[in-house]
Amino acid sequence: MASVKLTKVKKVYDNKVVAVHDFDLDIKDKEFVVFVGPSGCGKSTTLRMVAGLEEISDGTIEIDGEVVNDLQPKDRGIAMVFQNYALYPHMTVYDNIAFSLRLQKMPEDQIYERVTNAAEILGITDYLMRKPRALSGGQRQRVAIGRAMVRESKVFLMDEPLSNLDAKLRNQMRAEIILLRQKLNTTFIYVTHDQTEAMTLGDRIVIMKDGYIMQVGTPTEVFERPANLFVAEFIGAPKMNIMKTELLKENGKYYVKPFGVKLPVDGEKGELLAKKNVPAGEILLGARPEHIRLAKPGETSIPVTLEVNEMMGSELHLHVYTEDGTRLIVRVPTIDLTAAERENLVQGHKLNITFEGKVMHFFDEENQTNLIY
Amino acid sequence: MKNETAPAGSLKRHMGLKASNTISNTIIYILLVIMSIVWLIPFICIVLQSFRVESTWQVGYVIPKQWGWKNYIDLWHTDFKKWYLNTLIIALVTAVIQTVIVLCMSYTLSRFRFKLRKPLMQFMLILGMFPGMLTMIILYRVLKDLGLTQANAVPGLILVYVASSGMGYYVSKGFFDTIPKSLDEAARVDGATRAQVLYKIILPLAKPIVIYTILTAFMAPWGDFVFARYISFGTSAGMNVAVGMYNWLNLDQIGQCYTRFCAGGVIVAIPVTILFMCLQKYYVEGVTGGAVKG
Repeated sequence: MASVKLTKVKKVYDNKVVAVHDFDLDIKDKEFVVFVGPSGCGKSTTLRMVAGLEEISDGTIEIDGEVVNDLQPKDRGIAMVFQNYALYPHMTVYDNIAFSLRLQKMPEDQIYERVTNAAEILGITDYLMRKPRALSGGQRQRVAIGRAMVRESKVFLMDEPLSNLDAKLRNQMRAEIILLRQKLNTTFIYVTHDQTEAMTLGDRIVIMKDGYIMQVGTPTEVFERPANLFVAEFIGAPKMNIMKTELLKENGKYYVKPFGVKLPVDGEKGELLAKKNVPAGEILLGARPEHIRLAKPGETSIPVTLEVNEMMGSELHLHVYTEDGTRLIVRVPTIDLTAAERENLVQGHKLNITFEGKVMHFFDEENQTNLIY
Repeated sequence: MKNETAPAGSLKRHMGLKASNTISNTIIYILLVIMSIVWLIPFICIVLQSFRVESTWQVGYVIPKQWGWKNYIDLWHTDFKKWYLNTLIIALVTAVIQTVIVLCMSYTLSRFRFKLRKPLMQFMLILGMFPGMLTMIILYRVLKDLGLTQANAVPGLILVYVASSGMGYYVSKGFFDTIPKSLDEAARVDGATRAQVLYKIILPLAKPIVIYTILTAFMAPWGDFVFARYISFGTSAGMNVAVGMYNWLNLDQIGQCYTRFCAGGVIVAIPVTILFMCLQKYYVEGVTGGAVKG
């Protein structure tokens, strides 16, 4: 069990490309932190620097209070699960899991006990004498996790461990990782490009872009209070609708005017705008697909035309476009519509939509930061 | 109607394809059999001649009139034993040292990133294009100054064969490149040193290329003639089998030594044949495996 502290960590490759810029993060003991971001954002590089597989160009990394910049991976007290499992193909599952313990010269009876314990937790006892090639993707990933588990390390590093699995298996393994985390009760650093994984697994999420941290926060924080436009669009599926609009201030009350329709900004958001005294002007308005709804008759609304209707089971994702051609996604619970209404939702169908003022997001047009957080 | 003719036409095409495949396969196999016979004839002749005891000179027939082991027994009353031992020592020592150097070199170039890595590889590639024969005179001078010629040719020859072995890294580096680097990283996280990664993870996975490297390292000195003759320079004690037996083919000796020469040839071929028969699977895998990414 250990804390991990990264201070001004920087990675510059030989070709002068800066992969990670001044990365500052304090990971508490037993915390599950997820690094998430698009390809090339530096999340894996940062994890590999913590592991000692990548040299640090500048800054310090501390594990349990000890600076580990110059320590070999084996001396850092970490265990790591790789994206492609990285199982040793010429060894059986048992030998794969026992490999690190044998290098430590642990007595065979203790090795046997640890390996069989891990295998039991992961449900791979029946496969211990098989070679990795005789296992399915999910079983291989369990072996990889088992190999990391038996080391009883202070920090558990996972580099996109579910990326190579199919969607069904990924969901199953995600749940297993949550259970495993409860059993191991150690510090986890998990890298993924999948925001669903990040949201479901992490105590805190570190969202990265081009080597910079965009925001660090709990899943609720980054979802409800995105620090900038990038985070707002990256977190949440389908992604947040962004539209250029005017922010109006009349008698101390705020309004937005998307597509020429004046809508009030209600509740907490309105109060926060007033508290920050945000000036009126051009802004970028963000509305998540679930915060746009079909307007009731007589309600102030925006006319749109349906382009694509994606039936997701419990909900519909309606891809619509406004009169000026702006494309939006609206998420409608299936239960809110009658069967006849659902059948009407075909390409070209005219609809009226409105925004929930309470949950709108307001971003500065120039620097794309959130205007109220 | 259309439904009936379509499968019939497709069946006809299928039959035509099958027939043309059979014909081409037959031609290929006949050619391969002929080539095998052509290649085998000299070996068969040598084996048969080695058992001929009615005469020792070259004759106009292949199958001996009288069979016996005399030529093989005679071998052991000559310097053949010494030459054979010299060759074996040179080939074995070279095979071991060269394999270690080549594998270490290949692993280093495949896994480590350091300044001048690429220029070094290019330099060795260009250097390898010059025939080794160009260095013969200077090598002889150097070895002579070191006292490693003639009767001391064995260590001298080992030095010559081993000296440039690092340059033969290309095939095995290509093979190592195909082994995912994440295996090295996983092993390093598991607590292995770089050396442990090499011999516990990489080498067991690269068995074909290790065997290929050992075989090629063994074969070159086992069959070498030019360097061995130059460096042993007429001293029987420093000769290998190729040089020693070559002397039996001189005009003044061939009449007495031809069948003995054939028996010596058979004895020389035996270890190599056994090695190849046992390891040919790995040898082929090694050559093709390296070629994929070489």
